[in-house]
Amino acid sequence: MAILSLAFKSLLNRKLTFFITLFSIAISVTLLLGVQTLKTETNSSFMKSISGTDLIIGSRGASSQLLLSSVFHIGNTPNTIQYNTYKKISQSPAVEWAVPISLGDSHKGYTVMATDLTFYDYFSFANKQHLSVEKGAIDNDMFAVVIGSEVADKLNYKIGDQVIVTHGGGEIEGHHHDNIPFYISAILAPSFTAIDQTLIISLEAMEAMHTDNHGHFGALPGEQILPSDKHKDHDEHEHHDETAHEEHTDHDEHEHHDQAAHEEHADHDEHEHHGEATHEEHADHDEHEHHDEATHEEHAEHDEHEHHDEAIHEEHADHDEHEHHEEATHEEHADHDENEHHDEASHKEHADHDEHDEHEHHNEATHEEHADHDEHEHHDEATHEEHADHDEHEHHDEAAHEDHDDHDVHAHHGHQDTQDQRVARLLKIKPEKINAIFVGLTSPQAILSMQSYVNNYPTEPLSAIIPAVALQELWQFFSLAEVALNIVTAFVVLVGLLGMLSIILMSLNERRREMAILRSVGARPGHIFGLIIGEAGFVCFAGILLGVALLYLLLFTLQTPLASYYGFYLDINMLTPNDLSILAIIQLSALIIAFVPGWLIYKYSLSDGMSIKF
Amino acid sequence: MININNLRFAWQKEPIININAFSIEQGQHLFIEGPSGSGKSTLLNLLGGVITPQSGDVEILGQSLNQMSSNQKDSFRANHIGFIFQQFNLIPYLSVLENITLPCTFSSDRKQKALSRSGSLQKEAIRLLSALGIDDTQLIQRSVNELSVGQQQRVAAARAMLGSPDIIIADEPTSALDNGHRQAFIKILFEECEKENITLIFVSHDSTLKHHFSHHINLLELNQVNIKEAL
Repeated sequence: MAILSLAFKSLLNRKLTFFITLFSIAISVTLLLGVQTLKTETNSSFMKSISGTDLIIGSRGASSQLLLSSVFHIGNTPNTIQYNTYKKISQSPAVEWAVPISLGDSHKGYTVMATDLTFYDYFSFANKQHLSVEKGAIDNDMFAVVIGSEVADKLNYKIGDQVIVTHGGGEIEGHHHDNIPFYISAILAPSFTAIDQTLIISLEAMEAMHTDNHGHFGALPGEQILPSDKHKDHDEHEHHDETAHEEHTDHDEHEHHDQAAHEEHADHDEHEHHGEATHEEHADHDEHEHHDEATHEEHAEHDEHEHHDEAIHEEHADHDEHEHHEEATHEEHADHDENEHHDEASHKEHADHDEHDEHEHHNEATHEEHADHDEHEHHDEATHEEHADHDEHEHHDEAAHEDHDDHDVHAHHGHQDTQDQRVARLLKIKPEKINAIFVGLTSPQAILSMQSYVNNYPTEPLSAIIPAVALQELWQFFSLAEVALNIVTAFVVLVGLLGMLSIILMSLNERRREMAILRSVGARPGHIFGLIIGEAGFVCFAGILLGVALLYLLLFTLQTPLASYYGFYLDINMLTPNDLSILAIIQLSALIIAFVPGWLIYKYSLSDGMSIKF
Repeated sequence: MININNLRFAWQKEPIININAFSIEQGQHLFIEGPSGSGKSTLLNLLGGVITPQSGDVEILGQSLNQMSSNQKDSFRANHIGFIFQQFNLIPYLSVLENITLPCTFSSDRKQKALSRSGSLQKEAIRLLSALGIDDTQLIQRSVNELSVGQQQRVAAARAMLGSPDIIIADEPTSALDNGHRQAFIKILFEECEKENITLIFVSHDSTLKHHFSHHINLLELNQVNIKEAL
């Protein structure tokens, strides 16, 4: 102990070199432990990305790809699977819950994920925590979007803001689905998972954007896009429509309909947007209807017309502006038969073909569901092309919407549907394809059998992965980087220790006198050796303590900025046994390295004896 | 007290020490005159047991150093011999008190003797310093770097005397001192050694100091090695 006290006093006598050595060791220790901590925290944050989900089901392929895309929203979107498959799997007795996930679009570099409301009920991360809403409320509306905390922060979005989704991922410009804007209904609290960087929309909206025409449904037959100024004029009326829907016996809306062209129909306008009660009369008033050529053919029966109305009323009670477009249409086409804005030829065809050939262009689901109010709602491509000018109108329309935000008080969330959105709603689009299913099982014992069932699913090739296992496997990919990082930090520590070695070695010559004096008063060569080892041990120990202190200082300082700027939550823990063993190795290395100067001074003290030769 | 028989020491096959027979009586004040290169330092190291001769024997207090392990020799030296060197005798990072009491770190014998004499090491240090002409009791807490060379040599002497060793070996202890201090230092050293009955071996190339000593010897005559470096 006396020798250690001497070693300590000797060190303090060389404060400058002592502190330089101390800091070089401290910094290398901080770096090493920092890397370890980051590694652990990255791993744990990685492993916390999903929890409580027993299986992730996707199309057959690499499990890592499915995991990366469905949980981390990284990389290519895997092939799709049928929505029906999701339905079937969710009905499987072993399945407690199943959440469909659809991916592939983005917004300003952030992933857009489509799912349904069950996602919020069942998706969990970390220790089975559920997503929580920070602002707003999760809305069942088709065009509502829930955004992650980072999306809100970085893009400075508020509840009610409009968001345009881009086809494809990443920053690369894809097709903008700008005909279908979404409004933000809720902002999620940070979860420090990929969800923070995600916008969540409804599956129906996702499907709508990915119909053959990218959701450019065009105008409904019989309706035309109104110029924005007229739109403005009618805002009020629409509002009235909405609220006073039933009581329109006084025919308020007549005023804003058909000023020019609708003269003749002035007294019958109501029928257009209202229900069955007025249907009888429709027979007489075909031409002012918002329906197209085909409708005209069949208006005698009014079947589809009726359905159409129902659709409107069921789903879009609050979307009366739809009607107001009709008015606009009517105005613009005051001198036209409504049919004029459709191709004459196709009109003929429609007339000829009850079967409505153009429906072929529509997808099955839509077709089935809307078989009864077909052609006037659905535009085939031919029609769509012809409506090239209508598309422009649509854009105008949208612009107009923005312009009129102030006036849209009546619209829910300050949001007004675009033409395409209205159509999309009317179509009652149902999701067909999804990318993945998150599944929770009734019991953990069912995981393997369910996995094997899914992997051998009869109707389409599927694969099911167990998230915890797949995460672990995926983490192995990073092990090389981990090893590289470990090597680098180990060398940093080695450099720190070599710095200490060189400083001790340099001090040896000037200390040979000190050694001789100690020898003369009875110190053994072993004491002198111990003096050097003790010094190195002390410097290293102090360096480690300082390094650990610096580490925690750094962690506490960086915790908040890391979470807020990088969405990385750094959990500050005690040193792990692994850390402690690393520190022990460093300490031991220092002592071993000190054998070099220790051995030298031992030799010196033997040869010098008590002679002071300097 | 000290007997040297056929002592031979060579450094890398070059003989440095070759002394056939030499002895020092207890309480003797011996002046060894030796110019540099005469094997002076080597002889002191041999006497202190720090280096081991190729042949021959050094016997101190009836104990042969050859019979001891190196650890035993270190302990023996710590217990029985005090050294004073030419200059920079002190450990720079220790205080005056710590320097004086340094032998106690390695020799419990001397610690016990010092304690039994004054009750505490600090009192004993103050007593020795005062005997050596330093009456400033505050001085012992100071850093040795603040002392004058004369004070440093007296602190070194106090260290050599602490715990009453049997032998004090002084290697050119006065060479850094001016003449006045040199005389005073030697006088005090003598007085203390006599009081404590310490055998003093004083090595110097300065033959003018010879007259203070009852016994003196010229190392060039004693040492049979034909030393070229002496030229």
